[in-house]
Amino acid sequence: MSEPCGRTFDEALISGYVDGTLVQGDAQRVQIHLEDCASCRALVDEITSVRETTISSAFATPADHEWPAEAPRSTASRTARRLGWPVLAAWAILVAGVGLLEAWRDADDLLERLILVAGVSGLSLLFLSVLLDRLKARKSDRYNEVLK
Amino acid sequence: MDESRMTSAVAQDDEATDRELIDQARSGQWDAQDTLARRHRQGAFVLALQMLGNRDDAMDVAQDAMLRFFTTLDSFNRDRRVQPWLFTIVRNQVRDLWRRRQRRPGDGLVDGEALAGQLVDSANPEADLQRQQLRKSVWRAVATLSETKREIIVLRDFHDLSYKDISDVLKIPIGTVMSRLHGARKQLKAKLEEGGPHV
Repeated sequence: MSEPCGRTFDEALISGYVDGTLVQGDAQRVQIHLEDCASCRALVDEITSVRETTISSAFATPADHEWPAEAPRSTASRTARRLGWPVLAAWAILVAGVGLLEAWRDADDLLERLILVAGVSGLSLLFLSVLLDRLKARKSDRYNEVLK
Repeated sequence: MDESRMTSAVAQDDEATDRELIDQARSGQWDAQDTLARRHRQGAFVLALQMLGNRDDAMDVAQDAMLRFFTTLDSFNRDRRVQPWLFTIVRNQVRDLWRRRQRRPGDGLVDGEALAGQLVDSANPEADLQRQQLRKSVWRAVATLSETKREIIVLRDFHDLSYKDISDVLKIPIGTVMSRLHGARKQLKAKLEEGGPHV
């Protein structure tokens, strides 16, 4: 193992030097240091050598037939889907609304109306709960930043 | 095991850029979507394999990542590069898998033998025997690194991502990329020295 040296710069710059990502000033500082420091030259050689080894590696990957065929999503299908859900939701709300109204009108006494109110209240609370969870999940979605 | 392979360089079908393919895929061209998938899914698989060390898990993660890739294609900023975006998804899927199995991120060590066993021999294995042995030693050592160090090593020293892309994938500043990468490289060097002479 090489002897440690008294570096005059942040040692991480050596990795930046190997990767060619340093600004000119830092690269020159590292270069000047390397001229006099066998220990750091050895570290540069070691990092370079290991990098050459990893980057020249090849891994076995699945053949084409092992991958499922991604379902084609044409513009027409996406548009139909985008329109379909709101239309379905509107229809469901309309049917439920008309049904409830009719049931309210047909209710003979207070008890039947209370049952209706309790059912609607329960469903509303469940819907609100799901909505709040969705809103919270949307705010903390880790992919939001990626997609910006 | 099949004959296909993934090297560090992304297979380039340069006839169309990713941006062009994304535009075409968004307009419903199935061929473009298929080309995008073929171009990037092997990289996603290999990254998952390097993080998990298990071929079946890696395939599950890569498939889920590709699915997410295509379901969010409409909202993807086409000016950004696909690979870092996909790798971010893969990284999150890997972490989700660990979480489902109730493993803490620090427990994410992989079986070095299993990972090295997934290496493909070169075209001329007899002439390249020593080099291949060296590769196996290095990947065994990589497998013993913590998940944080391993991911930055593989992103830079296998997938050849730029510091900027790594910073996007790992959500850390570029300056931190350099220091974390250097720490990981030094630890890898130490692990290799523990294992005997290798270069």
